Amino acid sequence: MGTLIKQELYKLTHKKGTWIAIGIMVVLQIIPALVQKADSEFFQLSSLISNDYLGGGLYLFIMIASAASIIAMEFQYGTIKQLLYRQYYRSQVFISKLIVIFMQLVVLKVISTIMTFTLTALLFPSFDWDQKIEGSQTLLQLYFLGMGGNVLVTVFLLSVVILIATLLKTNAAAITSGFIGYFVSMAASSVLLLLINKWHWLRFNPFSMLMTSSQIISPDMSQATLMSTPLMITLTFVYTILFTFIAYFSFRKRSV
Amino acid sequence: MANLLSVQQLDKSFGNRRVLHGVNFEVAAGHIVALVGPNGAGKSTIMKAVLGLIPTDGGHLTIDSQPVSITSHQALAHVGALIEYPGIYPFLTGKQHLELFADKENRDTNMTQIVEALGMTSYIDHKAKQYSLGMKQKLGIAQALVNHPKLVILDEPMNGLDPQAVKDLRDYIRKMADQGTSFLISSHILSELEKLADDVLILNHGKIVQQSSMGELVASGGTSYVITTADDASAKTALMAAGLQLVPAEKIMIRQQNEKTLNQVLQTLVNANIEITDVVKVQHDLEESFLDMVNTPTTKEDK
Repeated sequence: MGTLIKQELYKLTHKKGTWIAIGIMVVLQIIPALVQKADSEFFQLSSLISNDYLGGGLYLFIMIASAASIIAMEFQYGTIKQLLYRQYYRSQVFISKLIVIFMQLVVLKVISTIMTFTLTALLFPSFDWDQKIEGSQTLLQLYFLGMGGNVLVTVFLLSVVILIATLLKTNAAAITSGFIGYFVSMAASSVLLLLINKWHWLRFNPFSMLMTSSQIISPDMSQATLMSTPLMITLTFVYTILFTFIAYFSFRKRSV
Repeated sequence: MANLLSVQQLDKSFGNRRVLHGVNFEVAAGHIVALVGPNGAGKSTIMKAVLGLIPTDGGHLTIDSQPVSITSHQALAHVGALIEYPGIYPFLTGKQHLELFADKENRDTNMTQIVEALGMTSYIDHKAKQYSLGMKQKLGIAQALVNHPKLVILDEPMNGLDPQAVKDLRDYIRKMADQGTSFLISSHILSELEKLADDVLILNHGKIVQQSSMGELVASGGTSYVITTADDASAKTALMAAGLQLVPAEKIMIRQQNEKTLNQVLQTLVNANIEITDVVKVQHDLEESFLDMVNTPTTKEDK
């Protein structure tokens, strides 16, 4: 397994796109920070910082592209046969890819977080992380709470992307589905909430889980989603595991 | 010599189409075995089954006495393969491809050795997306051979290679076989396989129709002589009158019955005062044996 993970990391780190994406993410954090420094009215500073100076949000899209390509590229480049004929089980090959995707997600999140704290310390040294935002929670607590929810929803979305990449074997289809799925769900969340209000059973559909991160920050949303926050977190995990298992069974059975 | 690969009663269907029918064969340690057959005969399917890449419907596969299936891959630790076309990551260089798959032990030595043997030194540090078809093919072969596996499976390895590269590859395969590596190789370039292989498997319609050593196969086809004279019609009459059997053909063609056949023919023609202008010895080669075998309406059963 260690060898497989090393090989996956080798491929990932030798792709120029991996480094370019990190570079773009960091630059897109720096630019809004400088704009805010020049004009303090441009953004609301606490909101800008909570959102990792906007650029940090790019990690979701980098991860969608990366998760799609780590599976689909093997089919597209015809490398899947040499990956699977060796002494390893298919489950090991699949899990090694999941581990590397998770490692990349953690690294991107750590980089964007370090950038957020560094930019804040350098450009806005008087910013008060301990200010109370909602009730008794400080901005720092909310920042990490939001990060946790965000990572959870991202992992859920990536399980869908990996499933599509495994089934369709093409990068483009999986990336497009990931992006469109994300944007449509975000745009249609108010419609979804209306539908849930009408047919209560709809609250358990997988798209509702894209709102888990919002509900973690704003627990009042439970009145609209008709689910408690712990239930939503649990369901998000369950769907993530379910989609990942379907992807694995498809990968395991595939003749190459 | 002990068998490294054993395939017993292998069956495989894709939907309703049965592709392999009870295929049996063995590959001895250090032997180069040619797997030949027309397009769609099932060569790649056999290779994929041996590599545990596809589920099979029946039969038993072992490498070094260890079973192989889609869920059992332990025996494949010492196997190298190139199936159908080389899998290449365009963003890696040739050297990085080898680094990716080479075992830690003697990594640099093994890599240098295969790169030099296949004449890849000048472009091994270039990105693979710049490679030609032949360069990619060589890289695919290099990946299969770099770890000095016990068994190597190569599907059409000569595809896209120039004559020098074909010779380099042939020499290297022979060298590895002499050191104990077994090879199962399919190719449509039968003349190349004939120079290389120790044994031949002829596959047709999903069945092995011939399994023998290359020497036996060539010898079984026999030797013939094509004779040109100043008067072929009179020559044919004289030869038949002498009791010699002619192969039905426009030219004078006689199959060698024993070592005196040629002498008898020439003597008959000289005695009949017919001027001999040319004598050509024709050896039945792999290509002819293959064509005979696959064009025979009722094929031979497995040996």
